[in-house]
Amino acid sequence: MLIDILITSLINGSTYALLAIGFSLIFGVARIVNIAHTAFYMVAAYCIYFTTYRLGFNPLSAMITGIVFVSILGLIVYKIFIAPIREHEQAVLIGTIALAIALQEIMMLIFTGDYLSVPALIKGYATILGVKVFYQQLITFASVLVVLGLMRLFLMHTKLGLAIRATAQDREVANLMGMNESRVAMMAVVISVGLAGATGAIIVPLTTVEPFMWSHPLIMMMAVVVLGGMGSIKGSFYAAFILGFAEAMVVFLIPSGAFLKGAVALSIMILVLVVRPTGLFGVQFEEEG
Amino acid sequence: MLEITNLTVCYGKAMIINDISLHVDEGELVSLVGPNGAGKSTTLRAATGLVAWEKSIHRGGDGDITLQGTVEFMGKRIEKTPAHEIAKMGLIHCPERRRPFKEMSVLENLKAGAYLLTEKNEIDENLRQVYQLFPRLKERSHQISGTLSGGEQQMLAVGRAMMSSPKLLCIDEPSTGLAPIMRTEVFRKIQEIRELGITVLLVEQEVSTVFTMADRNYVLSSGKIIAEGKGEELLKDEVLRKTYLGM
Repeated sequence: MLIDILITSLINGSTYALLAIGFSLIFGVARIVNIAHTAFYMVAAYCIYFTTYRLGFNPLSAMITGIVFVSILGLIVYKIFIAPIREHEQAVLIGTIALAIALQEIMMLIFTGDYLSVPALIKGYATILGVKVFYQQLITFASVLVVLGLMRLFLMHTKLGLAIRATAQDREVANLMGMNESRVAMMAVVISVGLAGATGAIIVPLTTVEPFMWSHPLIMMMAVVVLGGMGSIKGSFYAAFILGFAEAMVVFLIPSGAFLKGAVALSIMILVLVVRPTGLFGVQFEEEG
Repeated sequence: MLEITNLTVCYGKAMIINDISLHVDEGELVSLVGPNGAGKSTTLRAATGLVAWEKSIHRGGDGDITLQGTVEFMGKRIEKTPAHEIAKMGLIHCPERRRPFKEMSVLENLKAGAYLLTEKNEIDENLRQVYQLFPRLKERSHQISGTLSGGEQQMLAVGRAMMSSPKLLCIDEPSTGLAPIMRTEVFRKIQEIRELGITVLLVEQEVSTVFTMADRNYVLSSGKIIAEGKGEELLKDEVLRKTYLGM
């Protein structure tokens, strides 16, 4: 039982981490609360389904197509829809909610509401400490770690990464250092949506593809971000595993606990907001100007 | 080098800067002094593109920002140029309240300052120069900058600005909030920067020190330039000294 909980929490936690880091990135750099973040994850999942079954792509190229497609979609949507209203936080919030619902409805129109699935990259399972673990789960976990590692390298050791971190901390000063703040914001959007796409691509064989699949991860991701502290990538990382663990505990230890999955996230979110609104590693935002 | 002509800046109905003109020539150290709220920082922000940037992100909101007049740098009009492009031209603004990137190390802050440079040699050379100027930064190069003392953060802010090979360096209130001994140190460093051949526009409240080091001074009050000249000449003016400089 304990091993079950650990493995489930590691796998779920790692995908939440990936989602939450993308969300934090776009919030930190561009101050966009992107409710549609997980909707892009859903679009990536559909894209993989479509390319695998309708176009006959092999799983790997389907994944890559999915990620690229979603990144480009994110860029287009940002350019025509979000960028013009970016400085009005409420408008962005409403806009991204609308965007998420629109994407959901579009998927519903194209693919109907049927539950679809995508085959695993490698079938079969291994037995680890007496627990059955599907190879696909291991691949998912490993890919998440690789993506997170690459993200870290990118943020810490490239010039664009430096500009992204600088802009997230103080965009006015970043501007003064010659960083083109609006271009950095755009790049952050593309990377963030690309990460959402990658999460979708990595997780899709483990889940069912349906138009509402974005709502549960959205709640989990928000809870992770609140627990970890808005805008803190490190915080998102730790909080994702804490939440993944809490969720797995409830699911395994409480009878019919699966129904309480969402409740775990929401109660943690409320608790954090009451006790420690800045989260674990939250940054206190200083007013600009 | 920098030529501001008939500049007026309004935030909504409040006129922060009222028709001011000033210029900084190559190799000079020019100061802009005056009491709190006189419009010193806004003048700098207008020159380095931040007012225009603020205007662009607040469009449609109330309290619209207007900017009239011209700003020229090295013979080019820049009052509408985006801030990051002004930085590329070599007009570098070291902001008020220091504002280091608090979660980054000292070294990362300095690298962020060199963002516009592409030549690795030039970056290394600038880093060497900054470390020579501020040996303390070298000792603390891996410390997270948010944990530095106020004086060290000021050195970091100036060092970061120096990393981009500025032609004209605008420093906004470097001495504010520092202990007297740190202030002297900061002013001595600015003197050294100037001796490196970098033109400096210094915004300050600490009039007594600034007047002894600057070539020329502008006194700003309620958005207008009320006096201009060498420090010793300005100090002879009894009314100016008592009313505006509080000395």
